[in-house]
Amino acid sequence: MQQVKDIVVVGGGTAGWMAAAAFAKVLGTQAHSITLVESEEIGTVGVGEATIPPIMQYNKLLGIDEDEFVRETNATFKLGIEFIDWRKRGSTYFHPFGVFGANIKGGVGFMNYWLRWVQSGGDPDYTHFIAEGEAAREGRFARVPASPDGQSPRLNYAYQFDAATYAAYLRRYAELRGAVRREGKVVEVEQNPETGYIEAVKLADGTRVAGDFFIDCSGFRALLIEGVFKSGFDDWSHWLPNNRAAAVPCERVEDPTPFTRSTARESGWQWRIPLQHRTGNGYVFCDSYISEDEASQRLLERLDGKPLADPKILRFTAGKRRRGWIKNCLAVGLSSGFLEPLESTSIHLIQIAIMKLFEFFPQREVNPVLIDTYNREMDVLYDHVRDFIIAHYKVTDRDDTPYWRYCQSMTVPDSLAAKLELFSERGETRVMPSDLFGETSWFAVLYGQGLIPRSYHPIANVLSEDELQLAVAGIRTAIRRRVDSLPSHADFIERCCAAKPAATAA
Amino acid sequence: MTRRIEQVVVVGADAPAWMAAAALQHSVGAAGIRVRVIELPTQLHPADAYSALPELARFHHRIGLGEHLLFSRCKAVPVAGRRFSNWSGAAPPFIHGYDRSPPPAAGLGFTQLWIKGRQKGLRTDFENFSLASVAAKAGHVPVTAGGAELHAAFGYNLDAGAYSTLLRHFTMSGGVESKAATIADVEIEGDRIIAVILNDGERVEADLFVDASGPHASLIGRMPGADVESRREWLPCDRMLVASAARLKPLPAFSQISAFRHGWVGLFPLQDRTAVVAAYDSRETSDQALLEDLPALANMPIGGDAIVSDLSQGIRRRAWVGNCVAIGESAFSLEPLDGAQLHIVHYCISQLMTLFPAEAGAFPEAQLYDRIIHRLAINLHDFQLAHYKLNRRFDMPFWDGCRNAPVPETLQRKLDVFTARGRVPLYDDEVFQEQDWETLFIGHGLMPQSYDPRVDAIPEQEHIAQVQARMNDIAGLVEAMPSVDDFIAGVDQRQKEGTTVG
Repeated sequence: MQQVKDIVVVGGGTAGWMAAAAFAKVLGTQAHSITLVESEEIGTVGVGEATIPPIMQYNKLLGIDEDEFVRETNATFKLGIEFIDWRKRGSTYFHPFGVFGANIKGGVGFMNYWLRWVQSGGDPDYTHFIAEGEAAREGRFARVPASPDGQSPRLNYAYQFDAATYAAYLRRYAELRGAVRREGKVVEVEQNPETGYIEAVKLADGTRVAGDFFIDCSGFRALLIEGVFKSGFDDWSHWLPNNRAAAVPCERVEDPTPFTRSTARESGWQWRIPLQHRTGNGYVFCDSYISEDEASQRLLERLDGKPLADPKILRFTAGKRRRGWIKNCLAVGLSSGFLEPLESTSIHLIQIAIMKLFEFFPQREVNPVLIDTYNREMDVLYDHVRDFIIAHYKVTDRDDTPYWRYCQSMTVPDSLAAKLELFSERGETRVMPSDLFGETSWFAVLYGQGLIPRSYHPIANVLSEDELQLAVAGIRTAIRRRVDSLPSHADFIERCCAAKPAATAA
Repeated sequence: MTRRIEQVVVVGADAPAWMAAAALQHSVGAAGIRVRVIELPTQLHPADAYSALPELARFHHRIGLGEHLLFSRCKAVPVAGRRFSNWSGAAPPFIHGYDRSPPPAAGLGFTQLWIKGRQKGLRTDFENFSLASVAAKAGHVPVTAGGAELHAAFGYNLDAGAYSTLLRHFTMSGGVESKAATIADVEIEGDRIIAVILNDGERVEADLFVDASGPHASLIGRMPGADVESRREWLPCDRMLVASAARLKPLPAFSQISAFRHGWVGLFPLQDRTAVVAAYDSRETSDQALLEDLPALANMPIGGDAIVSDLSQGIRRRAWVGNCVAIGESAFSLEPLDGAQLHIVHYCISQLMTLFPAEAGAFPEAQLYDRIIHRLAINLHDFQLAHYKLNRRFDMPFWDGCRNAPVPETLQRKLDVFTARGRVPLYDDEVFQEQDWETLFIGHGLMPQSYDPRVDAIPEQEHIAQVQARMNDIAGLVEAMPSVDDFIAGVDQRQKEGTTVG
């Protein structure tokens, strides 16, 4: 049976170049051809982009030198997300990467012991027990590997970077390995009349780009997966009503924080992503509650530095393409669905689609079982991320605007309702080991949003009070020691990976 | 050659010395006997506190010391009992409240009714039938109006330095002479002290010497036949740390004694600070490691005044040799687990008063005093030991050792009888009464297998009514009691009005 040899990526941007770079690395261009078609006429959505730790796996796959990557993308390091005004006005909580506390003998999760400890008068700020949370609060950062004895875990982090320079960086990487970029706008798609498989795309200048497998990275347009295959779209806007974002960069006014900030606003929320040279900002909102003009105006009023451009409006609908893989076409990025960047999952969803494609890499005739499995697994991931994001809106004390009153009163998916119920009972969400957001994340967000568990696992009661106090104090001290040993985030960047002046001017 | 006693010299320091001098002056001083104090250097540190049983009030009453002075001068906090936590793994803590022998119910000891009730499914813990425990939990000071059948009392936590100073002033103003000195030598002939030679060369002679020098045993330690039987075999803690922490707000109505991996940590609330005491086994943990763990164990930051010292636990074979009488910790030592430190001083003084020798001759009273004090020591050590013996902290070498080691026959008999039928046989010279032992045993998880058969004669309805009535009575009394802070604030007012407290 013939192999898939020629791969065509339709669309550039973050998704397109992430896909092309990964193919160039993993498949190589000796036995395969990798062609990326993009048009400079069509803008990319990429704005200041925050990521989550699994991006390390992608970078590792590519063999990227981290210092170089950080330098070239004006990146900063990210230890988590600070949520302001989400539970109620004036409240703040932190969703850190990393593990909560440490194992205490007895076999139940640390959060159970911590809840017991809080009930007996301990400080209810859980970030004291997550090294990444403590480091973020103090603006500290360094790369800390796990200790060889396994006593001290690694410091988990991700990046905040300029998406446009990230795409450019990956383009250089892919092209260096033989991926070919074709300039042009796709005007026609050729399908095999019998199988329906895509055989080629035709560009405006008449060029025909043929291939065995097509990656649809055409963004919201979903040129192939929807335009050709009519995959269909599950609209989730009743759960996630935000459908607009106003984005604007502003001048950097302070040392970049090693975290992203999300501030709840009257009809949505505002992001703040610090890069080395500037700060990315955006107001994600629902236009039924606030107009584009007003949202842009509010955003400009609430910047901490001078705006460097006019706000750019992005329009979207929350939801998921019914099937991301149809025949010889895989949708990657916005063409496969959209979830607002509240938990910085956009790049992760791209990355998972790419990784899974490698896992399921097909012969020329794609086995339908592979496609079904892929689509089912992606559905699980999407639903999981969706539920996690919805939880931020559902679990809140805010009812000060019609927008928040809607969020508070909306019905949530059954899968989320079950998690919330279990959590309010005893602080667990029973996530699957394969789930993207683990117990620590759910705990941080649900607790931070104001859902305080009534109880905890009864086994946490077996430990005597003094042993509990000692264990908790020991963990706290170990975390404190780790954090105290870290330099400031700004110093760390300065020493190892400050952007070149040329890039700073960009 | 015999004659009446003309001169008594108390040698010692701090509260025990002044308690002895004050009591002697108050009783035999009035009969013309000269009482003199050789005041040795203090053994106290700024962090030290005394934690006293309610009986201390009786001592003050007897010598005429105003209770209000404890609150205005000694940072006193009234406590209704001691809360013991962590002695049984994750079992809830229990309070040993200072009840005064509770009245019977349906003609029988209430404990017997409770045991049967428990066997039939009663869920309310034993301590909830103790007036003092319930008051302690509510943060109330057990002052009960006259006429009530149920009585409870409160003990005191006192700043040790301030209390010693108060007693010193009080005693001196009562006409007792004193001299600050150290001992250069003691002239002994046979079993008699001829004279104590001070560091300035003065020879102090007396008919009777009272050794109130605490564990130093400056006099009795030199006497023939008064060597110490070590109790380390049963009571493994040999180090003690004392420190201060911030004041607790609001002030609790109890002291807290929490077991930990290598011993126990006590929190003793005072008006201006919390005295923190840790007793531990030096074979298990170092002073430094303990100090590092202490903030977590005490659940509060620890001040910089921490002092560690050796903790010896032993009983002197003879407490009265010739013309030398040891009182308090110069007779026997114990850890401050049950708050009996000052009480044993008081007890020894009371015995000395009762047996005060008529003549300075053969002192036949000595043998009797020895026996009494020895029994007192054994009983107190047994009470203390029961905490260790009954622990349920499994899989920790220190605690497994305490649980598995055999205990003296005196304690074993109490445990056996209690296990069999819920009674505690008391011996002579017990400080703690049956209610105290029951609270201790039940609190640490020892449940009797049976109870007084006469309880079965009580109809079930009557039984339930009795149990219910006891709870209601306690609830009513506790509600009327003042909080610790209100009680302390009201001390001056009551003093002016001439009403007594406690």
